[in-house]
Amino acid sequence: MELNTFANVRVLFFAKSRELVGEKETVINYPSRISTRRILNELLERYNSLSVISENLILSLNEEYLDINDDLIINLKTGDELAVIPPISGG
Amino acid sequence: MDELQLLKDELSKRDAEIAKLKMALQEKEKQLSLRTDVTEEALKPLKQVNKLSNESISRYSRQLILPELGVTGQVKLTNSSVLIVGAGGLGCPSAVYLAAAGIGRLGIVDYDEVELSNLHRQILHTEDRVGMSKSQSVATTCHRLNSGVEYVPYHLALDSCNALPIISQYDIVLDATDNVATRYLLNDACVIAGKTLVSGSALRFEGQLTVYNYENGPCYRCLYPKPPPPQTVTNCSDGGVVGVVPGIIGCMQALEAIKIASGIKSSFGQRMLLFDAIDGTFRCVKLRGRQPSCPVCGDAPTITQLIDYEQFCGAKASDKDKAMNILEKEQRMSAKEYKTILEEKKPHILVDVRQPVELEICQLPNTKTINIPVSSLQKEEKISELRDRINQLKSNGDDKVPIVVVCRRGNDSQSAVNTLKQQLLDNNIEIKDIKGGLHSWSKNVDHNFPQY
Ligand SMILES: [Zn+2]
Repeated sequence: MELNTFANVRVLFFAKSRELVGEKETVINYPSRISTRRILNELLERYNSLSVISENLILSLNEEYLDINDDLIINLKTGDELAVIPPISGG
Repeated sequence: MDELQLLKDELSKRDAEIAKLKMALQEKEKQLSLRTDVTEEALKPLKQVNKLSNESISRYSRQLILPELGVTGQVKLTNSSVLIVGAGGLGCPSAVYLAAAGIGRLGIVDYDEVELSNLHRQILHTEDRVGMSKSQSVATTCHRLNSGVEYVPYHLALDSCNALPIISQYDIVLDATDNVATRYLLNDACVIAGKTLVSGSALRFEGQLTVYNYENGPCYRCLYPKPPPPQTVTNCSDGGVVGVVPGIIGCMQALEAIKIASGIKSSFGQRMLLFDAIDGTFRCVKLRGRQPSCPVCGDAPTITQLIDYEQFCGAKASDKDKAMNILEKEQRMSAKEYKTILEEKKPHILVDVRQPVELEICQLPNTKTINIPVSSLQKEEKISELRDRINQLKSNGDDKVPIVVVCRRGNDSQSAVNTLKQQLLDNNIEIKDIKGGLHSWSKNVDHNFPQY
């Protein structure tokens, strides 16, 4: 029996994603069991502006790299922290 | 009156003397830093030492007594060489700390010359070196701090031909560059030459740091196999940057290079540091390891020699803005033509498409300017103000309402003309941009108008 089928995940935006989305962070209600590919896809659906850099970013979950892959199903829980990290190239 | 003229003459005489002295000083500084205009030619191998001189013991005493470093670490530092690519906001702080710590040889690559707008973050250059080679300037400043280090300034742009011959002569490479193409070039060159790449970057209030190609950790391509679309890349000139941010990241690049060279391991081989200066937070993300499928550092690499990185990235290997040509000639006017419109008090609407913060710096002398930043051109509430103004002018009897769009350099204003046309869908307007933007106004109309 699953009590909680959704999780409120804190999403942090860095660098260009911050600029495109227009905010530093948000909370997204994700299904608790989800493929890592769908985590990204739902982000892109919610923020169309992110699609231009959808292939130029990495995701991390609780400060660990998240492989974006259809077959990789993970468990999310409320309070998890997802980070969207495109590279900065200036200096 | 005579006295005034006398003073003026005296002043210009002294000015000439000062200019002469400055020239002599620059010349002397050039000689002092031992080398000028080094190219990719082979350097003599760095002289290896196995003990420290009394002078070195005194100079480095505060770090020698650290058990993690000690004499062994200092000797290793003395026997190591580091190449810094980019003598800017990241390169300056990293160079000065590597020099201070007593690295054996410090190579500094930069094709560019010092500009006034560099000095808020590129802290090793000086006001009287505007126009001088940046790599030379960094070598000169560092030489004053520690003349025991060998400095090799390279006044050139790193490219697919010279990168490997230069990089292979150094132990550790620092990516302190400002553009995407050079970042991919440096990554591939370091993988091919088997060098560790200490990579830093900074923009606005954010910084990133990772050590690539280190102890089976990832390379840049393992994380970012595809370069970002050029239009999504913001440089420091357009996005802005607080000087301390690259300062902090550059210091950390020096720290990691010192750790690696002295035998302490780097902490960022498979981790990325994310620095947010507004929040005052340092986040560390654990990265994935080297990817067996990576085209350059993988098990069966497809990139085994350097490619054309400007083509690969679709962008120039510099952070300088290029003038774009989106609009037809008839859709543009010169700054001088706009000056005539103002002088003749021709009814028109001026739309400034810069960010509000930029209007605080300077504006064209038009009290009725409408500010719609390029990023807000799709927003209806912004457009409706413009529509109201158009209708006002129409009711005054002017049929084709002239709209003039301006930005800083004349690139954004062109795309804005196209967007506004679509948004307004009004046949009774004539919309043009000012070619070259405010830079052209400053250059061709009002020399006292500030440039930023
Ligand atoms: Zn790789």
